[in-house]
Amino acid sequence: MLNILFFTPLVLFFLAVILGFFGILFHKEQVSRLSWWLFLGGTAILTAYLAARGVVAGRIPLSNQFEFATAFAWGIAVMLIAVQTRAKAEWIRVAAMPMTFLVLSYAALQPREITELMPALKSAWFALHIGSAVFSYASFVLAGCAGVRYLLISRKDHTAGQLVQIDYLSYRMVALGFLLLTVVILSGAIWAEQAWSAFWTWDPKETWALITWILYAIYLHLRLRKKLSGKVMAWMVVIYVPVVLFTFVGVNTLLPGLHSYG
Amino acid sequence: MKQKILKFLRSMTFGMILLGLIVACSLAGSLIAQGKEVMWYVKTYPGWYGILLKLGLNNVFYSWYFLVLMVLLCLNLTLCSLVRIRRVYRAAKNAVPNAAKRTTDIPLSPEKLAEFCAYLEDRRFRKTEIGDAVVYSKNSLGWYGSFLTHLAILLTVLFGAATLYLPQVMDETCLPGETLVMADGTEIAVDSFHIEDAQGNLDYASKIHVTLPDGRSSGIQEIRVNHPFGFGGYKIYQQTYGTAGAVTVRDKATGAEDPFTLTENCFLSADGRNGVWFEALYPDYSRDESGNFTLISQTSGRYSNPVYQILIASDGVQTPVLAFPGETVTVGGLEYTFEAPVEYPGLRIKQTPVIVNILLCGAFCLMILGLWFCFFGSPALVTVRPDGCAIGGPKPQGTRMELAALLEDGIQEKEEEKC
Ligand code: HEM
Repeated sequence: MLNILFFTPLVLFFLAVILGFFGILFHKEQVSRLSWWLFLGGTAILTAYLAARGVVAGRIPLSNQFEFATAFAWGIAVMLIAVQTRAKAEWIRVAAMPMTFLVLSYAALQPREITELMPALKSAWFALHIGSAVFSYASFVLAGCAGVRYLLISRKDHTAGQLVQIDYLSYRMVALGFLLLTVVILSGAIWAEQAWSAFWTWDPKETWALITWILYAIYLHLRLRKKLSGKVMAWMVVIYVPVVLFTFVGVNTLLPGLHSYG
Repeated sequence: MKQKILKFLRSMTFGMILLGLIVACSLAGSLIAQGKEVMWYVKTYPGWYGILLKLGLNNVFYSWYFLVLMVLLCLNLTLCSLVRIRRVYRAAKNAVPNAAKRTTDIPLSPEKLAEFCAYLEDRRFRKTEIGDAVVYSKNSLGWYGSFLTHLAILLTVLFGAATLYLPQVMDETCLPGETLVMADGTEIAVDSFHIEDAQGNLDYASKIHVTLPDGRSSGIQEIRVNHPFGFGGYKIYQQTYGTAGAVTVRDKATGAEDPFTLTENCFLSADGRNGVWFEALYPDYSRDESGNFTLISQTSGRYSNPVYQILIASDGVQTPVLAFPGETVTVGGLEYTFEAPVEYPGLRIKQTPVIVNILLCGAFCLMILGLWFCFFGSPALVTVRPDGCAIGGPKPQGTRMELAALLEDGIQEKEEEKC
C-alpha cells in the first residue's frame, strides 16, 4: 500500500510534466489545466504517503536519504502550489514541475525501508531543523525556476513589467529561503551543542550549508546594487540550484561526516 | 589616503570580497579531509601534498589566513554598522515627514484611489495627514532590520569564537562504579550504563552523579545522546561507549579473589610460563555442524553471545582457547572465571562559562528577528494626494505590485460585471 502511495505521485508528476510541455508547445489551455490538476493530485497523494509513512514509522519521516529527498520533492510541490495560488505566477510551473519530478525520481532510487530513528536524531530540534531545510531549499529551487523563466523570456519580446514581476518573485523566494536556511543553521548549531558539545564543528554538511548561505547573502547584496541587471541576478539563482541540491542530498553521500545518517 | 582606506574597509565591496574568500576556504576545507596525519596527505595526494601542507589546507579553519579573514569581516561589519545606524535612525525618524514631501508618481482616478486607501487601511497601514498629503505607513521597526541582522552576525562570530576557544573539553571513559576526579576536585561518578533499553532499542544512557568540591551533589542524573547534564560549571555529554571483558581471578591456595575488567590483557607469572593472555572479546559467534567457530566482531548494540579469545600458557606451552562467560580456566594455581562483559560510557566533560552560550543564543534570535524585519517587515510608505499616489520605503516594489494586482483585479471585476 505504501509503495502504491509513493509511485502514484511519481507517475502523476511525470504525466503532468509531459502534458505541461505539450500544452505550452501547442498552446492548448485545457491540456495545461489537466497537467496542473494531475500535479495537484500527485501532491495530495504524496502528502498522504508521507503522513502514512510517519504513522507507520512512529516518527517524522525525515531521517534518511530517501525520506529527505521525498520530503524535498513534496516541499517543492507545496511551495509551487502556494506561489501559484498567491502570486498567480502560472509560468513558474514550467520549470518547477520537472524539478519536483526529478527530485522524487532521485528518491525512488534510494532504499525505502523504514528504519528506527537513531538515538542521535531523537531530539526536539529534529523537526524544526530538517523541516525548515525542506522548505528553505524548496524556495531556492523555485527561485531558480523563476530565474530560468526570466532568462528564457528576456530574449523574446516581453514587457519590462513581466520581467520585473519574475525578478521580484525570484527575490522573494530567495528571501524566504534565506530566512529559513538561517533557522536551519542556527537550530542545527544549538542541536550540535546538545549532541556533540560544540555549536560548530566544520562538518561537511555544516560547511556546505554555510557556503549556500553566504552565496545567497552575496546575491542579496548584489541586488542592492541597482547597476546589476536582472539577467545577472537570474543567472545567479539558476547557478545556485546545483549547490542547493548538493548541500541537501549530495553532501551526505559524497562527503562523509557527522551528518552521514542517510 | 587614510579616508580612502577607511571607506574601502567599511564598504560592501570589501565585505563581499571577504565573503567570497570565506566560501573559497570553506570549499577547500570540506573537499580536503581536515586534521589527518601528515602521512595521510602524502599517500592521498602524492603529486601536491607539499603545497597542500604549506598552504595549511589540511587545517584550513584553524589557519592564520582564515583567522585574518574572520577578523577583517568583523572589522568590516563593525565599521559599516556604525556608519549605517545613524543613517537608519534618521531615515526611520523622518520617514513619514519625508514621505509627505513626495510628489505623485502614479496618477489614479478618485475611485481607484479610494479603493487603494481602503485596501491600505484594511492592511493595517497607519494613516497620518500632513498638509494636503495623507501618508500611509507600516512596519516602522523594519528600518532597523538590516542593522540588527549585521549586528547579530557580528555578535555570532564573536560569541561563536568564544564558545569554540574558551571551554576546556576532556574525553574520558569511565567504568560503572568508578569516579573521575577533575583538577578542581569535582567528582563525576558513573553509577551505571546501558547500550540498549529494556525493549532492546539502542539507548546509550548513563546514570551519573556529580559532587562539587564544596560537597554539593547533583543527585543521580541520566545522560544520553542529545541530553547532556550541566552542574557547577561542568556539562557532561554521553559521547561514546564500549564493552569490556570481566574476569574474576581466585587463588586456589588462599581462596583470595580479585575482579578485573579486561583493560589489562596479561595475567602471566613473573617468568611468563604460566597464566592467561587475554586477546580479544567478540560480541557474537556462529558455529557450524562440525563445531568450528566463526567469530563476529561487528555489532551496533549489546553483545548478544560474547566470547573471549585467550591464550593459556602452561609451563611455557601456549594454547589458544575460546572461553564463554561463566567458564573457569585453571592454570598456575589460579582460577580465572570469565564473567559477562561490562558496558561502559565515554563521557565528554566540558567546563564552560554558561553566559557565553546564552549570549550566542541571544545573537541567534536577534539574527532571525533582523532577517524577518528585512524581508517580511520591511517599511512601506504610501503618499496619497488627490491626483494619485507615490510609493516609497526601502523596498517599494512589493507595494507597487500589490497596487498593480489590485487595479488588475478591479478591471477584471468590472469586465465580469459587464458580461
Ligand atoms: C555574513 C554575511 C552577511 C549577511 C548574511 C548579510 C545579510 C544582509 C541582508 C539580509 C540584507 C538585507 C537585504 C535585503 O533586504 O534584500 C543586507 C543588506 C545590506 N548589507 Fe549585509 N549581510 C552580510 C554581510 C555584509 C557585509 C560584510 C557588509 C559590508 C559592509 C554588508 C552590507 C550591507 C548593506 C550596506 C546592506 C544594505 C543597506 C541596508 O539595507 O541598510 N553586509 N545584508
